[in-house]
Amino acid sequence: MKQLTTPLTEEAVSRLKTGERVLLSGKIYTARDAAIPKLVELIKEDRLGDLDLQGQVIFHTAVSPAGVGPTSSNKLEIEENMGILSDAGIKMHLGKGKISEKTIKILEEKNAVYAVMAPVTALLESRTLARRVAAFPELGMEAMHELEVRDFPVIIASARGTSVY
Amino acid sequence: MEQIRKIAEKTLLEAATTFRADKNKIYEECMKAESSANCRWIMEQIMENAATAADRQSPLCDDTGIPHILLELGPGRSLSGEMIEAVRAGVADGLRKLPGRPMAVMGDDSQRLDQSGGLSGDPAAMIPAPIQLLSTEEDVIRLYILMQGGGPEIRSKTYRVFHKHDVSVIIDNIAAWAAEEVGKLGCTPCTMAVGIGRSHYEASSLMLQAMAKGRYDSQSPMEQAITDRVNALGVGALGLGGDITTLATFLKVGPQRASGVRIVCMRPCCCFEPRVACSTLSR
Repeated sequence: MKQLTTPLTEEAVSRLKTGERVLLSGKIYTARDAAIPKLVELIKEDRLGDLDLQGQVIFHTAVSPAGVGPTSSNKLEIEENMGILSDAGIKMHLGKGKISEKTIKILEEKNAVYAVMAPVTALLESRTLARRVAAFPELGMEAMHELEVRDFPVIIASARGTSVY
Repeated sequence: MEQIRKIAEKTLLEAATTFRADKNKIYEECMKAESSANCRWIMEQIMENAATAADRQSPLCDDTGIPHILLELGPGRSLSGEMIEAVRAGVADGLRKLPGRPMAVMGDDSQRLDQSGGLSGDPAAMIPAPIQLLSTEEDVIRLYILMQGGGPEIRSKTYRVFHKHDVSVIIDNIAAWAAEEVGKLGCTPCTMAVGIGRSHYEASSLMLQAMAKGRYDSQSPMEQAITDRVNALGVGALGLGGDITTLATFLKVGPQRASGVRIVCMRPCCCFEPRVACSTLSR
């Protein structure tokens, strides 16, 4: 089983194959429908501050006392911003559900991948070492968080212009 | 009343954290039948997740769901308003202890619809749906609690079917609806829950009863026919493409009336559902 630790290098991402299983470790960011448009605004206005997106993962989830679990990545606010987030350094977009051919092509151009995971909240909780709010605290459980994780099980759903769907 | 409150709390926690034995068994059987290695890997994780959740008494899924309550009464049994309030209080205790995801929307009618009134920070603000009352021949009062997640609600459908006096037409319709929706669910393998009644209210109620009482180790020919049709879609676990798209079907057919129409409620439950537990309140 392939092991990946963030930050992800260009070379490591370019070697990922569609359908490959990966255990993901390190610090990752979370953001979903509410936080992603706000993050994109910060990118456009060059106001990222302490947020370092280089080689990073965006996990599409809320972070609540109940835990974490992937939401559908094909929601408009999430999928339509994968390109600009990849330009800003995001190498892996992590969620669930089918994404469009257009998005698959954009990710290929930017050497980024889309990965999916099962909504295994209890298992993910047992592999989450730390969490903190990274941005937009006013969004509550939909705030952007930084998680420190060990061996999150993911499947590469789209890489190099191909897709499992 | 304190005892009823404690039982309701325990029942909710069990529903939200624990796979029943027949569910563990069907997952083991489906893993053996699945030819896709990636889908088998996802199902292994779902089972490991269930073991971890039961061990920690933590939620199976971060969408902890909306509580749905069924109460079943035997002949000679009665239910007081005080008992119902004790059940509701136990559900609130369970949501706080779990903890449930705090996503109840606050405000007046308009604010609750556009979500402009903000969210309650209290997991117990996710109040239960209206209680359904059932009768039984057994001399008990039985409590069922189901935790209904949001994803399957998006993919559910209650609509009329012109049956042409042929059961296969109804099954064809259910299979066609499943073909439209199950691939978009994301959290497969699902369990198909179906209620067929005379009205939309009745069909939805019967679907909920099917979820509460359905068993993975007991499938009728109609249930098996729906399962086979859904599995033929090849959606597989997490939509990755595989042999097992649904673990089983739970179907409840209610009374019907002389008409060319049946009302069908279909809910493609997610990989953890039905999240259901049952307790006896009194013997």
